[in-house]
Amino acid sequence: MPIRSKTFCESYHEDIKLLNTIWSKCWMGVFILVLLTLPYTTDTYIVYLVNLSCIAVVAAIGLNILTGFTGQISLSHAAFLAIGAYTAALLSNHLEMPFWIILPAAGLVSAATGMLVGIPCLRLKGLYLAMATMSFGVMVEYVLITWKDLTGGERGLYMSEVNLFGHLLDTDESVYYFLICLSALMIIIAKNIIRTRVGRAFIALRDRDIAAEVIGVNLTGYKVMAFSLSSFYAGVAGGMYAYVMGHIHPEHFTLLASVEYMAMIIIGGLGSILGSILGAVFIVVVPEFIKLFAQALEAAIPFMQGRYDEEWNIAVFGLLIMLFLIFEPGGLNAIWQRIKSGFKNWPFTY
Amino acid sequence: MRKNVRLVKILALVGMLTILTAAFAFAGGRGVTDDEVKLGFVLVKTGPVAALGIPQGNGMIDYMEYINEKGGINGRKIKMLWEDDGFQAPKAVAAVKKLITRDEVLTIMTTGGTNQTIANLKNIERYQIANIPNAMTLEFFDPLNPYIFALGALYEWQYQVIVDYIHDDLEMEDKKIGVVYTKKEYGIKGLDAVKKRAAEYNIPVVAELVLPTGAVDASSQVLALQKAGANLVITCDVLPPVVSFLKTAEKYNYWPTVFGFNWATDDALVKACGPAAKNYIGAGFVGSWTDDSPGIKLVREIAAKYDRNPKLSSLYIGGVGVSMLFAEAIKKAGRDLTPETLKNALETFRDFDTGGIFPPVTYTSESHAPAKKVKLFKADVEKGRLVPLTDWRSPKDL
Repeated sequence: MPIRSKTFCESYHEDIKLLNTIWSKCWMGVFILVLLTLPYTTDTYIVYLVNLSCIAVVAAIGLNILTGFTGQISLSHAAFLAIGAYTAALLSNHLEMPFWIILPAAGLVSAATGMLVGIPCLRLKGLYLAMATMSFGVMVEYVLITWKDLTGGERGLYMSEVNLFGHLLDTDESVYYFLICLSALMIIIAKNIIRTRVGRAFIALRDRDIAAEVIGVNLTGYKVMAFSLSSFYAGVAGGMYAYVMGHIHPEHFTLLASVEYMAMIIIGGLGSILGSILGAVFIVVVPEFIKLFAQALEAAIPFMQGRYDEEWNIAVFGLLIMLFLIFEPGGLNAIWQRIKSGFKNWPFTY
Repeated sequence: MRKNVRLVKILALVGMLTILTAAFAFAGGRGVTDDEVKLGFVLVKTGPVAALGIPQGNGMIDYMEYINEKGGINGRKIKMLWEDDGFQAPKAVAAVKKLITRDEVLTIMTTGGTNQTIANLKNIERYQIANIPNAMTLEFFDPLNPYIFALGALYEWQYQVIVDYIHDDLEMEDKKIGVVYTKKEYGIKGLDAVKKRAAEYNIPVVAELVLPTGAVDASSQVLALQKAGANLVITCDVLPPVVSFLKTAEKYNYWPTVFGFNWATDDALVKACGPAAKNYIGAGFVGSWTDDSPGIKLVREIAAKYDRNPKLSSLYIGGVGVSMLFAEAIKKAGRDLTPETLKNALETFRDFDTGGIFPPVTYTSESHAPAKKVKLFKADVEKGRLVPLTDWRSPKDL
């Protein structure tokens, strides 16, 4: 008779449950409550930042599926977001389709493009793959600027608001709930993909592709699937971005944006859904903290007055990526896991 | 899995219910208290064109500080908030959101350049942001956009005046125009305007070359223009890349007459280029730093007072001018100051005299378009500045 203590699972299904303890369920409940009441307890700008975070979370999960779980480096993630965003805007402007068709369509078009990129990239690894995907990103940016009739070129494209059964979600507060629900859905889907056969195949492919092939993992199929899944997430995130911003422009989807998504998953934690979420939120909100810190400095030290500018953010991003790579390669997720296990095992240290 | 589906359902249901109530939430009056008015503006402070935003922003702040020291407007002091957009549309959107929803400013005096303003059109309308952007294209004024007011002559008009000058005043045989432009909205508009006007005069445009905003060398453009035989070069780019172009042209001993629009018409260009600027002619709509007009005297006084030595004086002058227009509008709106009354006050301007900073300013409820007035300036290398070449001109009716 085993002694029941802590997390005790009697079956495999119990073991892989998303929320497997009473405490995790309670904390999730509290978290959902905080999210639901947020627009009533804070200002619109915070809500706007959360909206941007939701989009970044979906995009970062997509990149983490490809890079973190499957081990395929991509520097063209912003290009897939662009494909999704422009698809959404074109479908909305020309065909006046509802959001529940537009968002999956944006994801599918992006996924199809991801497959097209994935197939020729099958034989590439590491730096070569990074270069190939980067070139694709530059190509997409060029097409967005030059194919004026379709993309609006340098003018960009406008996008209508989300129409939810006749109600226009035209404020940050109203679109907030829509984005929260959508992000939650995308997170749950990703969690399920990763804990099933497909996810395990991705991880096997990342850890040792030859060994994975020997045990029966179809390398070609799973690599292309990872590319298309990642692009699907990026496409949906692009569609969400178009809805939130109301206007899209090639400047939104540059190589720097791709690097920013890469920073999200490195800082959050490669190969972790929670890491993608933490990293995305971190990257979106950190400039605000830097700004607050700079303001505090300005107030305290007269010499610092008027010295803050956007360059600080870029410098801090660079520094953070370096620090995480050196001191915490597991990212925020690893820190979180340590804190969690510290509480779980308290008063023991392990 | 079933529990996950249930979780999604609950989330969706709660979300939808809350959306219906949240959709009606709306912000009230903003940015004005009994003794203070908060104004914001979005201007580039970092990146390749930071040099353009900083003097303008300083000019805007200095004038309001000057007004504050004189007691403010209608008993209220002005508080200025500057958000940097790095000359990028996405950052400009975020900056506008922040200024309106967090800082709750009365209005955003400028939403930055053309792309940034295009990206913010919905926000400008939604939040009733009366503003004077650094964007002078016809689409903002025709048809009327209720909250966008013109800063100066449209890019199209400036290039029309330049081509009119080439046709009517420039004594030269076998005129051939080459255009150097950036792939930004203003650059493309400029290129289109030049090509259209040149075609009307049957002056050939022999080359169209892209020069990116961050370019530090223009060798390929200069060599291509030389090869095409262009003896007149019209630049549709801001000041830093035009400086790069002129210096590169000097290196290759290529001396066409080079023209530029208002964002490349500044004494700083002559100082930066030296002899390379000897054939440069720029179009502008703000007074010159050395003018004796009362407005420009005031600008010099303010600059001295706040210890500024603006490298790009035309932009500093423009910044002071923009603040002057808003200060006047706030004064006219009186104590009942809201985004709407501010806009209405701006619409009462009839030939408002800025003392030579801008040409007389008129805005009505039917038109916020600017005066069709442009002045051409020529580089005087010895004096190290631009000197007026023509009086105020308008594009000719063809």
